[in-house]
Amino acid sequence: MNRFDRRAGMKITAAACLALALGGPASAQNVLRFGLAMPLTGSQALYGQDQVKAAEWAVAEINKAGGVNGKKLEMVVLDTQGDPQLGIQAVNRLVSVEKVPVFITAWSGVVKAVAPIANDNKVVELSVGANSPDIAKLGDYVYTTFPLADIDLTAVAKYAAATMGKKKAAIVYINNETGIVAADVYKRDFSAAGGQIVAIETYDQKATDFTGPLLKVRAANPDMIHLQGLVSDTPQVIAQMRQLGLNQPISSYSVAYNPKLIQQIGPAAEGVIATSLAPGVDDSEAVKAYVARWTKEVGREPNGLPYTQYLYDAPYLVAAVLKSLDDKKMPITGENFRKEMLAIKSFELPLTGKTTLGEDHTVVKPVYLMEVKGGRWTHKATVGK
Amino acid sequence: MQDTTIILQILWTSLATSTYYVLFAVAFALVLKVTRLFNFAQAGVMTIAFYTAFVLVQWLEWPAWAAFIVMMVVTLAASYALERIGFEALRRRGVSVMFVFVFTFMVSEFVAYVAMLIFGTWPQTIFPTIFWPVTLVGEIALSGWDLPAMGTTIAALAAFFAFMRFTRTGQFMVGVADNPGLAELYGIDKRQIFLVTMLIAGAFVGLGMFLYGTRAQVLPQTALSLMLFAIVATIIGGIGNVAGAAVAAVILGIVQNASILVIPSEWQGFLLYIFLFFAIVFFPNGLKLPRRRTRFGTATRNTPPAGDASPEAQA
Repeated sequence: MNRFDRRAGMKITAAACLALALGGPASAQNVLRFGLAMPLTGSQALYGQDQVKAAEWAVAEINKAGGVNGKKLEMVVLDTQGDPQLGIQAVNRLVSVEKVPVFITAWSGVVKAVAPIANDNKVVELSVGANSPDIAKLGDYVYTTFPLADIDLTAVAKYAAATMGKKKAAIVYINNETGIVAADVYKRDFSAAGGQIVAIETYDQKATDFTGPLLKVRAANPDMIHLQGLVSDTPQVIAQMRQLGLNQPISSYSVAYNPKLIQQIGPAAEGVIATSLAPGVDDSEAVKAYVARWTKEVGREPNGLPYTQYLYDAPYLVAAVLKSLDDKKMPITGENFRKEMLAIKSFELPLTGKTTLGEDHTVVKPVYLMEVKGGRWTHKATVGK
Repeated sequence: MQDTTIILQILWTSLATSTYYVLFAVAFALVLKVTRLFNFAQAGVMTIAFYTAFVLVQWLEWPAWAAFIVMMVVTLAASYALERIGFEALRRRGVSVMFVFVFTFMVSEFVAYVAMLIFGTWPQTIFPTIFWPVTLVGEIALSGWDLPAMGTTIAALAAFFAFMRFTRTGQFMVGVADNPGLAELYGIDKRQIFLVTMLIAGAFVGLGMFLYGTRAQVLPQTALSLMLFAIVATIIGGIGNVAGAAVAAVILGIVQNASILVIPSEWQGFLLYIFLFFAIVFFPNGLKLPRRRTRFGTATRNTPPAGDASPEAQA
């Protein structure tokens, strides 16, 4: 930068500082702020960026509709890369520098890592998207608006036994913490609903062939198969099931619910039942309009649609609590935010519907069962409405 | 009889899925034999091969044959760059085996990280579908992928062993593998032989990843996991024994899959580590097959472990 440029730059900076100094206090009174710490770069940015965009759209809509009692809602966005260490840095800044009363974050590792900061500073942490059951036990100031891990498994197991009338089920799961816990939950709930588990088989996380476990399942001749895999192996396991003549209905959970599964395994996907923790385009006009907006403005559907729906809704929840505090002329602090949020307890949100915060730091939401029929995901049932 | 059907099905599927493992094991064992390097950067080349094919087929909608050819060219170029820019420079500086080991790991991790930045963490496949039609032979399900994969692999291996046995360059590779110093005295250009070795390994890696990516989903870190199998096969097959590594890869695949008939399925993945443990502790030079008079397939001498490689050999 030459001398002239430096001078010009300094003048602009000084003018900006002066404007901030003069206009700052007056503006601050008319602005209500909250934080959002999400992956904007790094390996998780593919999902994080879409989720942030959803939250930005929501904030813009809220402000367009008059803000919070006429005050502008402002979201301070910081990058975590989905990494706990960077998450701690981002949240420290939100709490100490930006002085927000509440912040939203996701990714189980980050949610857990920043919980002590929220609790120590009495600032509310809203976990939106992470589903580790531990999140319910992270302290007084940590809440989730996203259902934790076992809610959809319980729904799908009970539905298979009670509504579909399946008597014998087999469980195939990936040999990791998620798979082991899920297999236990499914076994417990399917048995409790009157069914019998006739085979439980697992496969290694690095496996590329599943013939052995699947042949053992075939020998047990179940009416229904529940598959608890990861997004990377689920299509291949289902394809191999069909190739080996396992034509029973297959249930899975939210990882299976994506259009790519149908694209990747075609007719083998027919009859696969998956769960979604948010209503789809067939269930809600608002979701239909939301997806249409993505297609129009971004040229594609969002990565991880249900997660973006929850992120879209989170600013509405924050705005509702802030409005209530403002109505009561209460100071906007983390402590007051928490009290008021628990007092309101139930929120009607635009894209995920009614959200009730539980005393035990969990959230109660309906589970949407989706089934592949005619080469597309169709709504099969809603459990726990 | 159900048991016979299960055994035959496992045997067939294991043979089919061992194709890419054999190619990865042969590539790893060949580089180790000739250059005496544990080339963990192979995972990086594998990642480059897969994502090249993925971009050409899925993003640019090229036909499979054209994508395969360009993918092979890119993979060979990556192998060339690795040898000329990486290994050759390290040899010139006379660095230790440990340093090369760290370098190769770093290359693989770097490529995986770049792939993650570009392609994200969503698993990808070369073709939009990974569901191959099935033909029933008796009660055995034969996927449409199985026979072409087995045929291609067998053809590639036959061409390779013929190259080693009947061409001058192949003989030179054997010479360099046996005694690099002596080979040089006889006028063999070691530098050129190392490059040819890396290119042949690159070709195996490219073919292997094409086969793998048309059957299973790939993440940026997948190649590193696949490498483990190649390493175990190389150790069990006998370090410096390329044919042994290929045979070990097939046997490992069959034993691992068939093990489910006698052990609970959660132990299946653990089996590979048990093999590795016993191979390193009890058979550090591999399971010795009876010696034949071949000049390349079975070792005609006791190849020292990489740690024993002389500085001269690394130079």
